This record gives sequence, C-alpha cells and structure tokens, in this order.
Amino acid sequence: MRYLILIAGLLSLWSCEKAGGEVPIINEEKPLFEVPSNFDEPVYDLSKNPVSEEGFQLGRKLFYDGRLSRDGTISCAECHGQPYAFTHHGHIVSHGIDNRVGRRNAPPIQNTAWMTSFFWDGGVFDLDLFSPAPIMNPLEMDETMTNVIDKIAADSTYRQMFKEAYGTEEVNTSRFLRALSQFMNALVSANSRYDKYVRNEPGGELTADELEGLRLFEQKCSSCHSGALFSDQSFRNNGLEPFRIDPDLGRALVTERPEDRLKFKVPSLRNIRFTAPYMHDGRFSSLDDVLDHYAAGVQDTENLDPLLKSEDGILGIALTSTEKAQIISFLKTLSDEEFVRDSRFAAP
Amino acid sequence: MKSIFFKAAGFVAVITFLFACETMNDDELTGSGTVVLEFDNRIGSNELNLGQTVASNNSGEEYTVTTLNYFVSNIQLTAMDGKTISFPDQYYIVREADEASQRITLNDVPAGDYHHLTYMIGVDSLKSVSPEAERTGVLDIYSYGDDNMYWVWNSGYIFFKMEGVSPVSTKPGNVFKFHIGGFGGKDTATPNNLKVIDTMLSEDLAVRNMSSSTAHVVLDVTKVFDGINSLKIAETPVIMDMTGGMKVSANYSSAFSMDHIH
Repeated sequence: MRYLILIAGLLSLWSCEKAGGEVPIINEEKPLFEVPSNFDEPVYDLSKNPVSEEGFQLGRKLFYDGRLSRDGTISCAECHGQPYAFTHHGHIVSHGIDNRVGRRNAPPIQNTAWMTSFFWDGGVFDLDLFSPAPIMNPLEMDETMTNVIDKIAADSTYRQMFKEAYGTEEVNTSRFLRALSQFMNALVSANSRYDKYVRNEPGGELTADELEGLRLFEQKCSSCHSGALFSDQSFRNNGLEPFRIDPDLGRALVTERPEDRLKFKVPSLRNIRFTAPYMHDGRFSSLDDVLDHYAAGVQDTENLDPLLKSEDGILGIALTSTEKAQIISFLKTLSDEEFVRDSRFAAP
Repeated sequence: MKSIFFKAAGFVAVITFLFACETMNDDELTGSGTVVLEFDNRIGSNELNLGQTVASNNSGEEYTVTTLNYFVSNIQLTAMDGKTISFPDQYYIVREADEASQRITLNDVPAGDYHHLTYMIGVDSLKSVSPEAERTGVLDIYSYGDDNMYWVWNSGYIFFKMEGVSPVSTKPGNVFKFHIGGFGGKDTATPNNLKVIDTMLSEDLAVRNMSSSTAHVVLDVTKVFDGINSLKIAETPVIMDMTGGMKVSANYSSAFSMDHIH
C-alpha cells in the first residue's frame, strides 16, 4: 500500500501539469467580479458583500498569510496554489500544520459565488462560514478564530486595510470573513478555450477530436457534470472502492443519513488539467485513470449512483479507448490559463 | 325585600371590589422591570465544582465534570392573562466556568404576574442558517477562544457541551465529551436536538415597575446521565454526532427545573 501511494505520488508529480509558462498575466483593468455571459446568476448574495478593490486586497493578503495558522506556517495558499487552480499540487490529500495529513484532496477555489455548498461533503452552506473550517481544523491550520482575529488586529498594516475596506480600523470576525469571501468570489474562472467556444469569441476554436469529446461528454457525463460549473452540485457515490479501514462516509458525516453514505459532491471539471490528483481522496493521478474508472472500475457499493448501473446490472459508463481520449481532449479545453496566471490573484 | 336588599348590596360590593381591584392593578402593573434568570448547575443536591465534584451515575460510573456550557435562547414569559412576552434575537451561553454568564438579565419586561417560562437550549434553526453578519455576541465564534461552541465542518452551534473525566472512559486522559448540536439541517433534514424547556412556575414571577425579580433555574447534571436514557461513559465516552446526541438532549430537556423565585 505504501509503495502504491509512493508510486501514485510520483506519477502525480510527473503528470500534474502547470499552466503554460510562468509569465503572469496583468489584468488590472478588468473588474474584480463579473457574471460571465455563459454563467447563471450567482448563488452568493453579492449585494450584501460586493467585491470591492479594498476588500479584495484585504482578502488576498489574508489568503496568503500564514498567521491564520497556529504557528504561522500554513496559509490558505499552502493547499490552494494559484498555478494549480488553487489546489494542492502533488498532494493526494492535503498536508497541514506539523505535517499532519488530512483525508481528502483539496478542491480548487474557483467560481465560489455559484456554489451552493462547500467541501466534498457539503458541510458548509455559506461561503462566509467557510474560512473558519480550515483555520480551526487541527489537521490544517489548528488555530482559534479568537487568536487569528487578535493577531490580525495587532498589525497596523491590517488595521489600515480594514479601514480602507470598511471605513474604520475595527477588526472583527464578520469583516475578516467577508474580506476572504470577496477574494474568493473574485476567483472567477470562465476564460477557457471552451468558454470562448460557447461565447463565439476569438480563440474559441475546438479541434475535431475536442468537438467529438464534447459530444461524448454531453452524452455520457453531463447529467452530473452539468451547467457552466460542470457540476450539478449534488452528492453521489461514483463507485470508488471505499477503504476497508475507516472508510470516508462522505456526505453521511454531515447528514448522518444512511442514504448519504459514500456520497461526495460532484466536482467541477474546470481547470481539471491543473488539479491532479483526482477524486475526493486523490486516488487517481491522471485523467486516464479517471476515465478508466468510469469505464471499467465502478464498484457496486452502498448507494451507488443509479446512473452508473444499467437496468441489466452493467456497472459504469461504456467507453472505448478512442472515446476516452476524445473526452480527455475536450476536458483539456476547460483550462483557463488566464485564471491561473492572473497577477491579481497571486501573493501580494 | 330583605333578600333583594342584600342581593343589591352584594352586587354593589362585588362591583366595588372588581372596580377597586382593577384600579389597584392599574396602579401596580404599569411600567416595566427586569427579570433575571439565574442558572444554577448542580449535581443532585450538591454544588457543581468543575474538576472537583466527584459523582456517580446510576450505572455506578464515577465522573467529574470539567466543562459545562449551553446556549439559552428564545425566552418567553406568559402572564396569567395570557399575555406573552418574547425576547427575540437574544442569545446567551451559560458557562459553569463563568459566573457572570449564569445570570441572564432580561430588560424592559412589562409589569405583570408571569406564571409560565419557556426557553430553548440551543440556537434555533433560523439563526443557525442566518448570514454571518447576524452572528454577534455569543454567536460570534471569535468569542469562544479555546472553549469552542461551533462546528465549523458542519455549520452549526454546539448547543450543549459537557466534558469531564471518568476512570471508566477508554479515551486518552480518561475523558468523556458530550457535544450536542444539530438544528435539523438547512437543505436536508438532519437530526434535531433543539429543546424547548417549558416550565409552569409554582409561584408567580411578579414583575413590577423599576424593580428586579429573579427566577432561579437548576440544571441537575445527574439527570443528564440518567433520564429517559441511561448514558454509560464506558460505552460512549464521546458523543459528538447529532444522532447520538439525541439521547443526551432527551435527558437534559428534563434536567432543568424551576427552583424558586426571589
């Protein structure tokens, strides 16, 4: 098992692609938040907490600040790095403070304003309530909100930034959380080649293989990976073999309902080329592995999604190797180079 | 004739009496006063001293409580005439370690004779899903320090928290921990551990203008262990799930009683 993890880790290091080139893209002119024309209206109520330049800059500084953790070593960016669409590069599951290891793969932070819940199990229903979770998780940042707010309030640079964002120097939980929400809500990824294709914009040309991949995707994948987010945000069991020892029950940990056991949130597929490894536990290092799972690896476990089991009991999604390759070539058109290189989102 | 006279006299007397009473009530029952709800956590008939008082439950398990906190909200007082006074958006945490927190002061309570007190142990579902900006005071997680009263991974407050040590606990440090929460879920129905404590007062809580009355409430820790359910520390030293918590909340919903009014 240990060797498997090692091999998987090496593979993931090798296969995880970083955005082309290191050159940052300067986008200072662009508004910090806009609803892309091919997206629905946001779920988040932006009228209550609009993204302002000052709030965004404050949230950005907080996002990259290790002081949010107990010993100052772990910032949000530790597990959510921009070049990898804000995921934890090369880590099957996230690594936190004192090298403690979580049990789930850090999801990307993108298009948060459209999300109805957060975490693989959907345990948090409001973006503004999200940030305390990693901060207080003993495996991640292991700090109290009391200490975080006190540390931030003791820093005159921060106090000045709070004043610029909110009118007074007061540092409180609400302002702190709303600033982080502003930064995260600005992380809109909607400029992949695919987006330009659906918006009929220059640069939106898809190859014959990619178009065929799109057609297959719509036929075989989009009932779950639907809409502009490429996720219907539901919780489903996609037939991964659960670990024998201490299996992750997923959504049932939050709802405590047996019908939610082994269900996890359908992830967005945007920027999937940058976000390896895959699945809630990061068990697959490549998209080939993912497609192989759906084609031939689905296990008939408790609460398996009905869409993955045909009436005559055949598991998974029928895919030839050509079809798999075409779907993968389509998935790579969901890469938003501008997003992962936008200098506004980098460490201040 | 005589009887009519007496009847008439009696009638006048009754009218006068009613009239007098009303006038008297009018004099007394104007303005508003203060009600203090004093929460006294006890173990049976003994005082609870955190980390010191050793007690045994009905299963013969010795224990010492080291932490005892709970939310009190949605307080309502009902007067004899049916008038109900609510205290919306007032949330409190009673902490055994913090004496000041054990006295909940309700201001501007209209004068009256109240005989019925209800309150909730926990944070109602509406507040539990409210925007973060509405979570101030004891609902602000900044206020918790190391004594956390909020589940960050499954958004919701810990309504009732009791921790301690017991030689029968199999956990490191022989600890036991009961963290009870669960408001019923936002989008999916989940276990609900909100408990409303409904107390008919044995004597009226008389609220008078510019004065303060105190209702002395007792929480008996022994009843948290032994009520409708018998909790055995050896079996479940740690209860932090909502479903498991239902046994505990069922017990503590009957562990609060009105001791006296003063």
